[in-house]
Amino acid sequence: MEEDEESVESDDEEFEDFEDNEENIRDVVVPGETITEDVKNYLPGRGTILNKEKNKIISLNIGLKQIKKNYINVIPLRGFYTPRPGDKVIALVVDKNPVKYKCDINAKDFGQLKPKNTMKKGRTKGFRGGGGTSREEINTEKFDIGDILVVKILSADRLNKPELTTVGKYLGKKVGGIVISIDPPKIPRVIGRDGSMIKMLKNLTNCNIFVTQNGRIWLKGENIAHERLLIESIKKIASEAHTVGLTDRMQEYIINEKKKRGIE
Amino acid sequence: MPLIIKDEYPENLFREDGKRLDGRDVNELRPIKMEVGVIKNADGSAYLEWGNNKIFATVYGPREVHPHHLAKPDKGVLRVFYRMATFSVFDRKRPAPGRREKEISMIVADCIEPLLFLELYPGTSFEVFIEVIDADGGTRCASTTVAALALADAGIPMKSLVSALAVGKIDGKKVVDLSGIEDKAGEADFPIAITWYNEEISLLQFDGDMDLEEMNEFLDLAKNALKDVHQIQLEALKSKYIKLQEETIQTKENNDKKGDE
Repeated sequence: MEEDEESVESDDEEFEDFEDNEENIRDVVVPGETITEDVKNYLPGRGTILNKEKNKIISLNIGLKQIKKNYINVIPLRGFYTPRPGDKVIALVVDKNPVKYKCDINAKDFGQLKPKNTMKKGRTKGFRGGGGTSREEINTEKFDIGDILVVKILSADRLNKPELTTVGKYLGKKVGGIVISIDPPKIPRVIGRDGSMIKMLKNLTNCNIFVTQNGRIWLKGENIAHERLLIESIKKIASEAHTVGLTDRMQEYIINEKKKRGIE
Repeated sequence: MPLIIKDEYPENLFREDGKRLDGRDVNELRPIKMEVGVIKNADGSAYLEWGNNKIFATVYGPREVHPHHLAKPDKGVLRVFYRMATFSVFDRKRPAPGRREKEISMIVADCIEPLLFLELYPGTSFEVFIEVIDADGGTRCASTTVAALALADAGIPMKSLVSALAVGKIDGKKVVDLSGIEDKAGEADFPIAITWYNEEISLLQFDGDMDLEEMNEFLDLAKNALKDVHQIQLEALKSKYIKLQEETIQTKENNDKKGDE
């Protein structure tokens, strides 16, 4: 098991989304709500739309209003995961056959993991092109149904099933640990700006954490007490994701809880 | 011999003091209570109490379509399942979906569909399950209202919410929000739904008799009443988050005060 695992980085925009505002209360908007009628100075960005008369910008999601330059965005508070090429996600093997593994990646379609995407390039291909058994049959023995994998998404679009790979840094089968899942839109908050929140969680609870974009978090600690505290903290972060000054508050919470529970 | 109780309606649907049988004014709604996020394992959920109506709605999706032949290659499908509990009405309701259930499922789906961006999710389905626990008139309107709320809670992009309400004529007077007995004994029943994106009418059904001029008056009446319903919907969605925001600010201020001392 690798000791110093980095959390998966999402694009930089995502981090800023939550932390950029310095106001105390950020406006919660709901679908259909008018955000602004000033269409000359603002443009509709993510999660917003112009109405038919083009004199109002309205929200499409339940989320927080954010103004960036002259764009108005709505950062969703609820939603589902849409796979994008390059994402590293935690997958659960739900089915396998000689051609592919079927993986649950918490998206609308199951991911496809083909044996050719589980082999590292440059490996010697058996003795002079192979022996009696077909190589693919051997390769599908690699993972079992119920295994937890960390995979990278190779291709994903609206129509086709996403294709996965286990070749790369930090990718492959996970042994041991616990996987929990939270709402995917709240993942940037668990990571924090430049990974501040996740660093704090790692230092205070002495746990290995691996956060992925599809809302699943793998964690493993020294003992069950630490793991339990970490899980409770993550649930708390998810439920308070829309509030300000969360990192400081969480730090205080964990230190207090550690004293209360009598763990180092 | 089974006990047969015949439906008996009162002669007057107004009391002597000019109010309706349940003590409401002509333009008064029944008490409405809404809540979101009530069912943990659903993607989105909502609960509604509208007078004596008690309705749950849950949303799942986007997910694969079952049976698979219903999937469309160019857009997603919205499927609504309206069901009534056997104990929701006075006589036991047979649990199998009948003509009425299928009709209401269809009108609720047609009512909400123009608000969703289904073309972004080809080959998938969004499923809304509406379960009526207690029914007392106007469940189709209440179901539409609560289904929109559950979809918004699931984080599915929508152009706006939709609210619905029945207006009607009882004893020659125009009233809003018909209750069960007014619905059966009254002269006309007129359910209306409005999508707040461009304020378009998304559902219009009619039963009874009235003339064209009266119909226009009813539309204005319904629109005014629906604004109140919409306001309650917005509050139900927001209150969960705003409450937490205020709490955290309060505790922060308290901590600052302690630090100063």
